[in-house]
Amino acid sequence: MDIKEQIKQFIIVELAGQPGLALGNDDDLLLSGLVDSLGVVRLIGFLEEQTGVNIPPGEITIENFGTVNAMAAYLGAKVVSG
Amino acid sequence: MDFSWSPEQIALKKQVVDFAQRELNADVRQRDREGSFSPDLWRKCGAFGVLGWFMPKAYGGSGYDLLTTTLALEALGYGCRDNGLTFALNAQMWSTQPALLEHATEAQKQKYLPPLIRGEQIGAYAMTEPGSGSDAYSAKTTATKTESGYLLNGQKMLITFGPIADFAIIFASTDPTKGKWGLSVFIVEKGMPGFQQLPVQEKMGLRTVPIGQFVFENCFVPEENRIGAEGAGGSIFSSSQEYERACILASQIGAMEHQLETAIKYARERQQFGQPIGKFQAVSHRITEMKLRLELARLITYRAAWAKANGSSTMMDSALANLYLGDAFVESSMDAIKVHGGRGYLTEYEIERDLRDAVAGPVYGGTSDIQRNIIARFLGL
Repeated sequence: MDIKEQIKQFIIVELAGQPGLALGNDDDLLLSGLVDSLGVVRLIGFLEEQTGVNIPPGEITIENFGTVNAMAAYLGAKVVSG
Repeated sequence: MDFSWSPEQIALKKQVVDFAQRELNADVRQRDREGSFSPDLWRKCGAFGVLGWFMPKAYGGSGYDLLTTTLALEALGYGCRDNGLTFALNAQMWSTQPALLEHATEAQKQKYLPPLIRGEQIGAYAMTEPGSGSDAYSAKTTATKTESGYLLNGQKMLITFGPIADFAIIFASTDPTKGKWGLSVFIVEKGMPGFQQLPVQEKMGLRTVPIGQFVFENCFVPEENRIGAEGAGGSIFSSSQEYERACILASQIGAMEHQLETAIKYARERQQFGQPIGKFQAVSHRITEMKLRLELARLITYRAAWAKANGSSTMMDSALANLYLGDAFVESSMDAIKVHGGRGYLTEYEIERDLRDAVAGPVYGGTSDIQRNIIARFLGL
């Protein structure tokens, strides 16, 4: 499963608790309230565990974590910059 | 997890207890009664190195790890009878300083950290507002972008050191349409035009540390005083809260140990019905509960510090520690009064002050109800 699908599954099952929820890669996660502040903390822990990427709190912004696509792009750039 | 201490750590604990007992306990009752903060004691703590225990040597700190720092703060709480002072030290050490250390630019760190660590300046940390306490991210203070910086407007309240701080870390919204994700962080210095530090507000306990309000009216803050990116304020706050919740009550462990020893001594000496009151199970069991709370408080705090030191998010561990320590100190303070009977209610015996100080524990750094909410969420509820 690619990282986008892993993120979506985590949000749908673990954070929202709605297994039937349809979630698009560009759907707003933060301003919509689908992922709240504690959800973000859990999501960051999940991403760090899955990818091995260290995510500094100062980089957890809406630009980097507002959508599934934004997260995937952020993580991809972190992996490339190594 | 290995919570055994090295000979060096044990020696440090003894040095801290000796320092606190020798230097920090003069006139506590008078300062509590008057509600006065002692800059002299603050500077002594700075000179002894307290404020730099967890800070890197590059900024004048000692570079201790988190567990060693927790142990030292516990020792401080054991030796120092002024819970307001130990709370104030912890407040700066676990909110203002980590926010600077982890998120500020190198130039900002070089400018602000060394004088804080030496005890020459005092830094405040301001999130709470009249309309936003537990719902912290609904803060209404705004930071409007200008050509070379920002104009701040709004109010902050319940700010430790608010009336006397040399500078403050301020959370303000650079984009109110984005809620938490529009928050940014700024350093505002005493005397900046448009920045008012209102007088001390009286309170029930922790009376030796001043708490107050800020008002911002078109207060200009230059661009170089922003910490982190625009919109990163919410995440910076969450990150800082892990330190604050895990460690800010560490000194209470020492205070609880002192409280326990005082209660045991009194229960062995005080005679009623022809024997020491400690021989009555109603009293001895109460003291047993105090011992149990002390040991559990130690373990849960060490565990949170250990987890934080090992790099993982400790939101739940920190909430567990804060919740337990806050309630435990209140309960043990009440038990200490009951053991001492009427004397425990008199100010001169210095038993009742702990209870007044302890009541702040379940309120600040997130109320105990908020800590329970956090724990429940991490349990998937």
